Amino acid sequence: MFSNKIVERLDQMLDDAMNGTFTESNYDESKLSRLESKWKDFLGTSVLSNQNLEAERHRLEQFISDISHQTKTPMTNIRMYTELMCEEVDNLREHENEASVVKIKKYAEEIARQNERLEFLIDSLTKLSRLESGTLEVVAGPSSINELVKSGIAAVKPKAEKKGLSFVTSDREDKDPVTASFDMKWTLEALINVLDNAVKYSPECGRIEVALTETEMYAAIHVIDEGSGISEEDATKIFGRFFRGSEVQQDDGVGIGLYLTREILSKEDGYIKVVSNDKRKGGEFILYLRK
Amino acid sequence: MSILVAKHLKKYYGEGETLVKALDDVSLQVERGEFVSIIGTSGSGKSTLLHMLGGLDNPTSGKVIIDDKDISGLKGDKLCIFRRRKIGFIFQSFNLVPSISVYDNITLPIRLDGKKVDKAFVKNVIDTLGLENKLDTIPAKLSGGQQQRVAIARALASKPAIILADEPTGNLDSKTSLDVLGLLGTTGKKFNQTIVMITHNDEIAQMADRTIRIEDGHIV
Repeated sequence: MFSNKIVERLDQMLDDAMNGTFTESNYDESKLSRLESKWKDFLGTSVLSNQNLEAERHRLEQFISDISHQTKTPMTNIRMYTELMCEEVDNLREHENEASVVKIKKYAEEIARQNERLEFLIDSLTKLSRLESGTLEVVAGPSSINELVKSGIAAVKPKAEKKGLSFVTSDREDKDPVTASFDMKWTLEALINVLDNAVKYSPECGRIEVALTETEMYAAIHVIDEGSGISEEDATKIFGRFFRGSEVQQDDGVGIGLYLTREILSKEDGYIKVVSNDKRKGGEFILYLRK
Repeated sequence: MSILVAKHLKKYYGEGETLVKALDDVSLQVERGEFVSIIGTSGSGKSTLLHMLGGLDNPTSGKVIIDDKDISGLKGDKLCIFRRRKIGFIFQSFNLVPSISVYDNITLPIRLDGKKVDKAFVKNVIDTLGLENKLDTIPAKLSGGQQQRVAIARALASKPAIILADEPTGNLDSKTSLDVLGLLGTTGKKFNQTIVMITHNDEIAQMADRTIRIEDGHIV
Protein backbone atom coordinates (compact mmCIF):
# COMPACT_ATOMS: atom_id res chain seq x y z
CA MET A 1 0.00 0.00 0.00
CA PHE A 2 1.15 3.55 -0.74
CA SER A 3 1.96 5.66 2.22
CA ASN A 4 0.01 8.91 2.38
CA LYS A 5 3.20 10.88 1.89
CA ILE A 6 3.96 9.27 -1.46
CA VAL A 7 0.38 9.72 -2.68
CA GLU A 8 0.58 13.36 -1.65
CA ARG A 9 3.84 13.81 -3.53
CA LEU A 10 2.40 12.14 -6.65
CA ASP A 11 -0.63 14.42 -6.44
CA GLN A 12 1.69 17.43 -6.13
CA MET A 13 3.73 16.22 -9.12
CA LEU A 14 0.58 16.08 -11.26
CA ASP A 15 -0.52 19.54 -10.13
CA ASP A 16 2.92 21.00 -10.87
CA ALA A 17 2.98 19.32 -14.27
CA MET A 18 -0.41 20.83 -15.13
CA ASN A 19 0.86 24.26 -14.08
CA GLY A 20 4.11 23.73 -15.96
CA THR A 21 6.12 24.25 -12.78
CA PHE A 22 7.31 20.73 -12.04
CA THR A 23 10.88 20.31 -10.88
CA GLU A 24 12.51 17.35 -9.24
CA SER A 25 12.61 17.68 -5.45
CA ASN A 26 15.67 15.59 -4.89
CA TYR A 27 18.35 13.44 -6.49
CA ASP A 28 19.01 10.22 -4.61
CA GLU A 29 18.88 6.46 -5.21
CA SER A 30 15.24 6.11 -4.11
CA LYS A 31 12.56 4.89 -6.49
CA LEU A 32 10.60 8.10 -6.00
CA SER A 33 13.57 10.20 -7.10
CA ARG A 34 14.00 8.02 -10.19
CA LEU A 35 10.28 8.35 -10.91
CA GLU A 36 10.55 12.13 -10.61
CA SER A 37 13.37 12.20 -13.14
CA LYS A 38 11.37 10.02 -15.52
CA TRP A 39 8.35 12.30 -15.07
CA LYS A 40 10.53 15.32 -15.85
CA ASP A 41 11.84 13.58 -18.98
CA PHE A 42 8.34 12.81 -20.12
CA LEU A 43 7.21 16.39 -19.59
CA GLY A 44 10.30 17.64 -21.39
CA THR A 45 9.65 15.48 -24.44
CA SER A 46 5.96 16.42 -24.56
CA VAL A 47 6.91 20.09 -24.36
CA LEU A 48 9.37 19.35 -27.14
CA SER A 49 6.75 17.69 -29.32
CA ASN A 50 4.40 20.63 -28.75
CA GLN A 51 7.20 23.00 -29.66
CA ASN A 52 7.90 20.92 -32.75
CA LEU A 53 4.26 21.08 -33.78
CA GLU A 54 4.28 24.82 -33.31
CA ALA A 55 7.55 25.12 -35.23
CA GLU A 56 6.14 22.90 -37.98
CA ARG A 57 3.04 25.10 -38.25
CA HIS A 58 5.24 28.17 -38.45
CA ARG A 59 7.42 26.49 -41.07
CA LEU A 60 4.40 25.68 -43.19
CA GLU A 61 3.20 29.26 -43.00
CA GLN A 62 6.65 30.50 -43.96
CA PHE A 63 6.81 27.91 -46.72
CA ILE A 64 3.55 29.05 -48.29
CA SER A 65 4.59 32.69 -48.16
CA ASP A 66 7.98 31.72 -49.67
CA ILE A 67 6.31 29.82 -52.49
CA SER A 68 4.06 32.73 -53.31
CA HIS A 69 7.04 35.07 -53.25
CA GLN A 70 9.19 32.73 -55.34
CA THR A 71 6.57 32.15 -58.02
CA LYS A 72 5.67 35.83 -58.21
CA THR A 73 9.00 36.96 -59.66
CA PRO A 74 9.11 34.65 -62.69
CA MET A 75 5.39 35.21 -63.32
CA THR A 76 5.79 38.98 -63.21
CA ASN A 77 8.74 38.65 -65.56
CA ILE A 78 6.77 36.48 -67.96
CA ARG A 79 3.94 39.02 -67.98
CA MET A 80 6.38 41.88 -68.54
CA TYR A 81 8.21 40.17 -71.41
CA THR A 82 4.90 39.15 -72.99
CA GLU A 83 3.75 42.79 -72.96
CA LEU A 84 7.07 43.94 -74.39
CA MET A 85 6.79 41.31 -77.08
CA CYS A 86 3.26 42.43 -78.03
CA GLU A 87 4.43 46.04 -78.29
CA GLU A 88 7.35 44.97 -80.42
CA VAL A 89 5.07 42.95 -82.72
CA ASP A 90 2.98 46.10 -83.27
CA ASN A 91 6.17 47.97 -83.96
CA LEU A 92 7.22 45.37 -86.46
CA ARG A 93 3.84 45.56 -88.22
CA GLU A 94 4.21 49.32 -88.70
CA HIS A 95 7.79 49.37 -89.93
CA GLU A 96 9.63 46.27 -91.09
CA ASN A 97 12.64 46.37 -88.86
CA GLU A 98 15.32 43.76 -88.21
CA ALA A 99 15.99 45.16 -84.71
CA SER A 100 12.42 44.35 -83.70
CA VAL A 101 12.83 40.72 -84.77
CA VAL A 102 15.97 40.46 -82.65
CA LYS A 103 14.14 41.97 -79.69
CA ILE A 104 11.21 39.61 -80.07
CA LYS A 105 13.57 36.66 -80.17
CA LYS A 106 15.26 37.92 -77.00
CA TYR A 107 11.92 38.31 -75.19
CA ALA A 108 10.85 34.82 -76.23
CA GLU A 109 14.12 33.41 -74.85
CA GLU A 110 13.62 35.32 -71.62
CA ILE A 111 10.10 33.91 -71.28
CA ALA A 112 11.44 30.41 -71.85
CA ARG A 113 14.07 30.96 -69.17
CA GLN A 114 11.54 32.20 -66.62
CA ASN A 115 9.34 29.27 -67.50
CA GLU A 116 12.22 26.90 -66.86
CA ARG A 117 12.79 28.52 -63.50
CA LEU A 118 9.13 28.04 -62.57
CA GLU A 119 9.26 24.43 -63.71
CA PHE A 120 12.35 23.75 -61.59
CA LEU A 121 10.76 25.42 -58.58
CA ILE A 122 7.52 23.49 -58.82
CA ASP A 123 9.32 20.24 -59.53
CA SER A 124 11.55 20.71 -56.45
CA LEU A 125 8.61 21.66 -54.27
CA THR A 126 6.68 18.57 -55.32
CA LYS A 127 9.67 16.36 -54.55
CA LEU A 128 10.23 18.09 -51.24
CA SER A 129 6.65 17.69 -50.13
CA ARG A 130 6.66 14.01 -51.13
CA LEU A 131 9.90 13.53 -49.25
CA GLU A 132 8.71 15.31 -46.12
CA SER A 133 5.29 13.70 -46.02
CA GLY A 134 6.86 10.28 -46.57
CA THR A 135 4.82 9.59 -49.74
CA LEU A 136 8.12 8.75 -51.35
CA GLU A 137 10.57 7.07 -49.06
CA VAL A 138 14.33 7.23 -49.17
CA VAL A 139 15.46 3.59 -49.06
CA ALA A 140 19.19 3.29 -48.46
CA GLY A 141 20.93 0.14 -49.63
CA PRO A 142 24.38 -0.81 -50.97
CA SER A 143 24.85 1.10 -54.23
CA SER A 144 27.68 2.09 -56.53
CA ILE A 145 29.08 5.60 -56.13
CA ASN A 146 30.85 5.32 -59.50
CA GLU A 147 27.50 4.79 -61.17
CA LEU A 148 26.00 7.67 -59.20
CA VAL A 149 28.75 10.06 -60.28
CA LYS A 150 28.56 8.91 -63.90
CA SER A 151 24.79 9.45 -64.08
CA GLY A 152 25.10 12.80 -62.30
CA ILE A 153 27.68 14.15 -64.72
CA ALA A 154 25.71 12.82 -67.71
CA ALA A 155 22.63 14.70 -66.50
CA VAL A 156 24.31 18.12 -66.36
CA LYS A 157 26.64 17.61 -69.35
CA PRO A 158 24.41 19.35 -71.97
CA LYS A 159 24.25 22.52 -69.84
CA ALA A 160 27.96 22.33 -69.09
CA GLU A 161 28.89 21.96 -72.74
CA LYS A 162 26.96 25.11 -73.61
CA LYS A 163 29.34 26.99 -71.30
CA GLY A 164 32.34 25.07 -72.55
CA LEU A 165 32.98 23.47 -69.16
CA SER A 166 34.96 20.29 -68.75
CA PHE A 167 34.63 17.62 -66.07
CA VAL A 168 37.57 15.98 -64.39
CA THR A 169 37.05 12.86 -62.33
CA SER A 170 39.67 11.00 -60.36
CA ASP A 171 41.15 8.02 -62.21
CA ARG A 172 40.58 5.40 -59.59
CA GLU A 173 36.83 5.31 -60.24
CA ASP A 174 36.91 2.60 -62.87
CA LYS A 175 39.68 0.54 -61.31
CA ASP A 176 38.47 0.79 -57.78
CA PRO A 177 34.71 0.60 -57.31
CA VAL A 178 33.35 2.58 -54.35
CA THR A 179 30.06 1.64 -52.74
CA ALA A 180 28.01 3.14 -49.91
CA SER A 181 24.55 2.76 -48.46
CA PHE A 182 22.19 5.14 -50.25
CA ASP A 183 19.07 5.43 -52.38
CA MET A 184 20.24 5.75 -55.99
CA LYS A 185 17.29 7.75 -57.34
CA TRP A 186 17.11 10.32 -54.54
CA THR A 187 20.85 10.66 -54.10
CA LEU A 188 21.23 11.26 -57.82
CA GLU A 189 18.73 14.08 -57.38
CA ALA A 190 20.91 15.46 -54.56
CA LEU A 191 24.12 15.18 -56.56
CA ILE A 192 22.57 16.76 -59.66
CA ASN A 193 21.53 19.76 -57.57
CA VAL A 194 25.12 20.25 -56.46
CA LEU A 195 26.55 19.69 -59.96
CA ASP A 196 23.93 22.06 -61.39
CA ASN A 197 25.15 24.76 -59.01
CA ALA A 198 28.74 24.12 -60.01
CA VAL A 199 27.78 24.52 -63.67
CA LYS A 200 25.77 27.65 -62.94
CA TYR A 201 28.52 29.42 -61.00
CA SER A 202 31.51 28.27 -63.08
CA PRO A 203 33.21 30.81 -65.32
CA GLU A 204 32.98 30.08 -69.09
CA CYS A 205 35.32 27.26 -70.16
CA GLY A 206 36.03 26.41 -66.53
CA ARG A 207 36.79 23.04 -65.02
CA ILE A 208 34.65 21.06 -62.59
CA GLU A 209 36.36 18.37 -60.60
CA VAL A 210 34.49 15.45 -59.08
CA ALA A 211 36.72 13.53 -56.67
CA LEU A 212 36.01 10.61 -54.34
CA THR A 213 37.53 10.06 -50.93
CA GLU A 214 36.77 7.55 -48.20
CA THR A 215 36.92 7.30 -44.43
CA GLU A 216 35.99 4.34 -42.28
CA MET A 217 32.35 5.42 -42.04
CA TYR A 218 31.70 7.61 -45.07
CA ALA A 219 32.35 7.77 -48.79
CA ALA A 220 32.64 11.39 -49.86
CA ILE A 221 31.97 13.01 -53.23
CA HIS A 222 33.77 16.35 -53.67
CA VAL A 223 32.41 18.72 -56.30
CA ILE A 224 34.96 21.47 -56.95
CA ASP A 225 34.44 24.36 -59.35
CA GLU A 226 36.35 27.50 -60.31
CA GLY A 227 33.51 29.87 -59.42
CA SER A 228 33.62 32.43 -56.66
CA GLY A 229 32.66 29.91 -53.95
CA ILE A 230 30.66 30.50 -50.79
CA SER A 231 31.73 32.96 -48.12
CA GLU A 232 32.30 31.73 -44.59
CA GLU A 233 29.33 33.78 -43.45
CA ASP A 234 26.97 32.18 -45.98
CA ALA A 235 28.39 28.69 -45.49
CA THR A 236 26.14 27.87 -42.54
CA LYS A 237 23.04 29.35 -44.15
CA ILE A 238 22.97 28.09 -47.72
CA PHE A 239 21.26 24.84 -46.78
CA GLY A 240 18.21 26.64 -45.41
CA ARG A 241 15.03 26.73 -47.44
CA PHE A 242 14.87 29.65 -49.88
CA PHE A 243 18.15 31.08 -48.72
CA ARG A 244 19.14 34.10 -50.78
CA GLY A 245 22.83 34.79 -50.78
CA SER A 246 24.41 37.72 -52.51
CA GLU A 247 22.44 39.64 -55.15
CA VAL A 248 24.09 37.49 -57.82
CA GLN A 249 21.69 34.69 -57.04
CA GLN A 250 18.59 36.81 -57.54
CA ASP A 251 18.15 35.64 -61.09
CA ASP A 252 18.99 32.00 -61.43
CA GLY A 253 18.92 30.36 -58.06
CA VAL A 254 15.61 29.60 -56.45
CA GLY A 255 17.27 28.60 -53.20
CA ILE A 256 15.64 25.23 -52.80
CA GLY A 257 18.07 22.80 -54.43
CA LEU A 258 20.57 22.67 -51.59
CA TYR A 259 17.86 22.40 -48.98
CA LEU A 260 16.39 19.42 -50.83
CA THR A 261 19.87 17.93 -51.14
CA ARG A 262 20.49 18.18 -47.42
CA GLU A 263 17.09 16.66 -46.61
CA ILE A 264 17.71 13.71 -48.92
CA LEU A 265 21.17 13.02 -47.49
CA SER A 266 20.03 13.25 -43.88
CA LYS A 267 17.31 10.67 -44.56
CA GLU A 268 20.01 8.18 -45.42
CA ASP A 269 22.30 9.17 -42.50
CA GLY A 270 24.61 11.19 -44.72
CA TYR A 271 25.33 14.92 -44.77
CA ILE A 272 26.60 17.74 -46.94
CA LYS A 273 29.27 20.31 -46.24
CA VAL A 274 30.62 23.32 -48.07
CA VAL A 275 34.23 24.45 -47.96
CA SER A 276 34.03 28.24 -47.65
CA ASN A 277 36.05 30.41 -50.02
CA ASP A 278 38.41 31.67 -47.35
CA LYS A 279 39.69 28.08 -47.11
CA ARG A 280 40.26 27.47 -50.81
CA LYS A 281 39.89 29.14 -54.19
CA GLY A 282 36.67 28.33 -56.01
CA GLY A 283 33.72 26.44 -54.67
CA GLU A 284 33.69 23.01 -53.07
CA PHE A 285 30.78 20.95 -51.84
CA ILE A 286 31.27 17.60 -50.17
CA LEU A 287 28.52 14.98 -50.01
CA TYR A 288 29.09 12.36 -47.33
CA LEU A 289 27.32 9.02 -47.75
CA ARG A 290 27.25 6.37 -45.03
CA LYS A 291 29.07 3.17 -45.95
CA MET B 1 12.08 26.74 -22.46
CA SER B 2 15.84 26.42 -22.72
CA ILE B 3 17.35 23.13 -21.64
CA LEU B 4 20.58 24.83 -20.55
CA VAL B 5 21.00 28.34 -19.20
CA ALA B 6 24.23 29.86 -17.91
CA LYS B 7 23.92 33.23 -16.19
CA HIS B 8 26.84 35.58 -15.53
CA LEU B 9 29.35 32.80 -14.97
CA LYS B 10 32.65 33.90 -13.46
CA LYS B 11 35.63 31.83 -12.51
CA TYR B 12 38.55 33.64 -10.91
CA TYR B 13 41.80 32.10 -9.71
CA GLY B 14 44.28 33.76 -7.39
CA GLU B 15 43.88 37.31 -6.13
CA GLY B 16 45.34 40.80 -6.31
CA GLU B 17 48.26 40.96 -8.72
CA THR B 18 47.97 37.29 -9.68
CA LEU B 19 44.22 37.32 -10.28
CA VAL B 20 43.32 35.25 -13.36
CA LYS B 21 39.86 35.61 -14.83
CA ALA B 22 39.35 32.27 -16.59
CA LEU B 23 35.71 33.11 -17.19
CA ASP B 24 34.47 36.65 -16.93
CA ASP B 25 30.71 37.05 -17.03
CA VAL B 26 29.61 34.44 -19.55
CA SER B 27 25.89 33.98 -20.23
CA LEU B 28 24.37 31.63 -22.77
CA GLN B 29 21.27 29.58 -23.56
CA VAL B 30 20.84 26.32 -25.41
CA GLU B 31 17.47 25.14 -26.71
CA ARG B 32 16.28 21.54 -26.79
CA GLY B 33 17.57 19.62 -29.79
CA GLU B 34 20.19 22.23 -30.66
CA PHE B 35 23.78 21.36 -31.59
CA VAL B 36 26.00 24.20 -30.37
CA SER B 37 29.75 24.40 -30.72
CA ILE B 38 31.88 26.54 -28.47
CA ILE B 39 35.09 27.58 -30.20
CA GLY B 40 38.16 29.09 -28.65
CA THR B 41 41.93 28.78 -28.59
CA SER B 42 43.65 27.01 -25.73
CA GLY B 43 43.56 29.23 -22.65
CA SER B 44 40.41 31.02 -23.86
CA GLY B 45 38.36 29.58 -21.02
CA LYS B 46 36.32 27.14 -23.09
CA SER B 47 37.24 24.06 -21.05
CA THR B 48 36.59 25.94 -17.81
CA LEU B 49 33.18 26.83 -19.22
CA LEU B 50 32.38 23.23 -20.10
CA HIS B 51 33.41 22.09 -16.64
CA MET B 52 31.01 24.64 -15.09
CA LEU B 53 28.19 23.59 -17.42
CA GLY B 54 28.69 19.96 -16.48
CA GLY B 55 28.93 20.54 -12.76
CA LEU B 56 32.52 19.27 -12.74
CA ASP B 57 33.73 22.52 -11.20
CA ASN B 58 32.08 25.35 -9.25
CA PRO B 59 31.92 28.89 -10.59
CA THR B 60 33.15 31.80 -8.45
CA SER B 61 29.75 33.32 -9.11
CA GLY B 62 26.84 32.86 -11.50
CA LYS B 63 24.36 30.11 -12.19
CA VAL B 64 24.01 27.04 -14.36
CA ILE B 65 20.47 25.78 -14.91
CA ILE B 66 19.97 22.43 -16.61
CA ASP B 67 16.46 21.11 -17.26
CA ASP B 68 15.05 23.80 -14.93
CA LYS B 69 17.38 22.90 -12.07
CA ASP B 70 19.98 25.30 -10.70
CA ILE B 71 22.91 22.94 -10.27
CA SER B 72 24.93 25.29 -8.06
CA GLY B 73 22.64 24.21 -5.21
CA LEU B 74 23.54 20.54 -5.66
CA LYS B 75 26.38 18.97 -3.72
CA GLY B 76 28.04 15.58 -3.31
CA ASP B 77 25.88 12.54 -4.08
CA LYS B 78 23.00 14.65 -5.35
CA LEU B 79 25.21 16.35 -7.92
CA CYS B 80 26.66 13.00 -8.89
CA ILE B 81 23.23 11.46 -9.46
CA PHE B 82 22.08 14.58 -11.29
CA ARG B 83 25.03 14.34 -13.70
CA ARG B 84 24.41 10.63 -14.27
CA ARG B 85 20.75 11.21 -15.13
CA LYS B 86 20.94 14.48 -17.04
CA ILE B 87 24.30 14.79 -18.72
CA GLY B 88 26.12 12.61 -21.22
CA PHE B 89 29.83 13.32 -21.42
CA ILE B 90 32.12 12.73 -24.37
CA PHE B 91 35.79 13.34 -23.59
CA GLN B 92 38.90 13.70 -25.71
CA SER B 93 40.32 10.58 -24.03
CA PHE B 94 37.17 8.43 -24.56
CA ASN B 95 37.05 7.30 -20.88
CA LEU B 96 35.63 3.84 -21.56
CA VAL B 97 35.76 1.11 -18.91
CA PRO B 98 38.56 -1.15 -20.20
CA SER B 99 37.50 -4.45 -18.63
CA ILE B 100 33.95 -4.69 -19.99
CA SER B 101 32.53 -5.16 -23.49
CA VAL B 102 31.45 -2.40 -25.84
CA TYR B 103 27.78 -3.21 -25.23
CA ASP B 104 28.23 -3.09 -21.45
CA ASN B 105 30.06 0.21 -21.76
CA ILE B 106 27.21 1.67 -23.78
CA THR B 107 24.52 0.58 -21.33
CA LEU B 108 26.53 1.22 -18.14
CA PRO B 109 25.07 4.64 -17.25
CA ILE B 110 21.53 3.30 -17.70
CA ARG B 111 22.16 0.30 -15.48
CA LEU B 112 24.00 2.38 -12.88
CA ASP B 113 20.88 4.46 -12.56
CA GLY B 114 18.76 1.33 -12.03
CA LYS B 115 16.77 1.99 -15.21
CA LYS B 116 15.65 -0.54 -17.79
CA VAL B 117 17.61 -0.53 -21.04
CA ASP B 118 15.40 0.59 -23.94
CA LYS B 119 16.70 -2.19 -26.21
CA ALA B 120 15.13 -1.00 -29.46
CA PHE B 121 16.47 2.53 -28.95
CA VAL B 122 19.95 1.34 -27.98
CA LYS B 123 20.05 -0.97 -31.03
CA ASN B 124 19.12 1.96 -33.27
CA VAL B 125 21.94 4.03 -31.74
CA ILE B 126 24.42 1.17 -32.17
CA ASP B 127 23.47 0.60 -35.82
CA THR B 128 23.60 4.30 -36.63
CA LEU B 129 27.12 4.48 -35.22
CA GLY B 130 28.18 1.34 -37.10
CA LEU B 131 29.07 -0.61 -33.95
CA GLU B 132 26.85 -3.66 -34.51
CA ASN B 133 29.84 -5.95 -35.12
CA LYS B 134 31.91 -4.71 -32.17
CA LEU B 135 29.50 -5.24 -29.28
CA ASP B 136 31.36 -8.14 -27.61
CA THR B 137 34.80 -6.61 -28.09
CA ILE B 138 36.67 -4.88 -25.26
CA PRO B 139 37.63 -1.22 -25.85
CA ALA B 140 41.40 -1.87 -26.09
CA LYS B 141 40.84 -3.88 -29.27
CA LEU B 142 39.27 -0.87 -31.01
CA SER B 143 40.86 2.01 -32.91
CA GLY B 144 40.62 5.53 -31.47
CA GLY B 145 37.78 6.47 -33.80
CA GLN B 146 35.84 3.36 -32.89
CA GLN B 147 36.34 4.02 -29.18
CA GLN B 148 35.01 7.52 -29.59
CA ARG B 149 31.99 6.12 -31.45
CA VAL B 150 31.35 3.88 -28.43
CA ALA B 151 31.58 6.96 -26.20
CA ILE B 152 29.02 8.74 -28.40
CA ALA B 153 26.73 5.70 -28.25
CA ARG B 154 27.12 5.61 -24.45
CA ALA B 155 26.21 9.29 -24.20
CA LEU B 156 23.16 8.91 -26.47
CA ALA B 157 21.88 5.63 -25.01
CA SER B 158 20.73 7.07 -21.69
CA LYS B 159 18.81 9.88 -23.45
CA PRO B 160 20.31 12.61 -21.26
CA ALA B 161 18.93 16.15 -21.16
CA ILE B 162 22.18 17.32 -22.73
CA ILE B 163 25.44 15.91 -24.11
CA LEU B 164 28.64 17.80 -23.35
CA ALA B 165 31.54 16.96 -25.65
CA ASP B 166 35.01 18.20 -24.75
CA GLU B 167 37.31 18.26 -27.82
CA PRO B 168 35.86 14.92 -28.99
CA THR B 169 38.31 14.71 -31.89
CA GLY B 170 41.37 15.98 -29.99
CA ASN B 171 43.06 12.56 -30.02
CA LEU B 172 42.10 11.55 -33.56
CA ASP B 173 43.67 12.03 -36.98
CA SER B 174 41.87 14.31 -39.43
CA LYS B 175 40.14 11.53 -41.39
CA THR B 176 38.81 9.85 -38.27
CA SER B 177 37.79 13.25 -36.88
CA LEU B 178 35.58 13.73 -39.93
CA ASP B 179 33.86 10.44 -39.15
CA VAL B 180 33.30 11.25 -35.50
CA LEU B 181 32.01 14.77 -36.18
CA GLY B 182 29.79 13.56 -39.00
CA LEU B 183 28.29 10.92 -36.74
CA LEU B 184 27.92 13.30 -33.80
CA GLY B 185 26.06 15.78 -36.00
CA THR B 186 23.81 13.31 -37.79
CA THR B 187 22.92 11.24 -34.71
CA GLY B 188 22.20 14.40 -32.72
CA LYS B 189 19.59 15.40 -35.31
CA LYS B 190 18.23 11.87 -35.72
CA PHE B 191 17.64 11.35 -32.00
CA ASN B 192 16.76 14.97 -31.24
CA GLN B 193 19.61 15.17 -28.78
CA THR B 194 20.88 18.49 -27.43
CA ILE B 195 24.68 18.70 -27.82
CA VAL B 196 27.21 21.26 -26.67
CA MET B 197 30.67 20.70 -28.07
CA ILE B 198 33.92 22.41 -27.19
CA THR B 199 36.61 22.66 -29.84
CA HIS B 200 39.50 24.78 -31.05
CA ASN B 201 38.88 23.83 -34.68
CA ASP B 202 36.52 26.06 -36.65
CA GLU B 203 36.36 23.62 -39.59
CA ILE B 204 33.62 21.82 -37.73
CA ALA B 205 31.46 24.91 -37.14
CA GLN B 206 29.25 23.85 -40.03
CA MET B 207 28.24 20.64 -38.32
CA ALA B 208 26.70 22.67 -35.52
CA ASP B 209 23.50 24.72 -35.69
CA ARG B 210 25.20 27.55 -33.88
CA THR B 211 28.71 28.56 -32.95
CA ILE B 212 29.72 30.48 -29.86
CA ARG B 213 33.19 32.01 -29.85
CA ILE B 214 35.04 32.51 -26.60
CA GLU B 215 38.19 34.57 -26.09
CA ASP B 216 39.92 35.57 -22.85
CA GLY B 217 36.98 34.37 -20.81
CA HIS B 218 34.39 36.35 -22.78
CA ILE B 219 31.88 35.41 -25.46
CA VAL B 220 32.70 37.38 -28.60
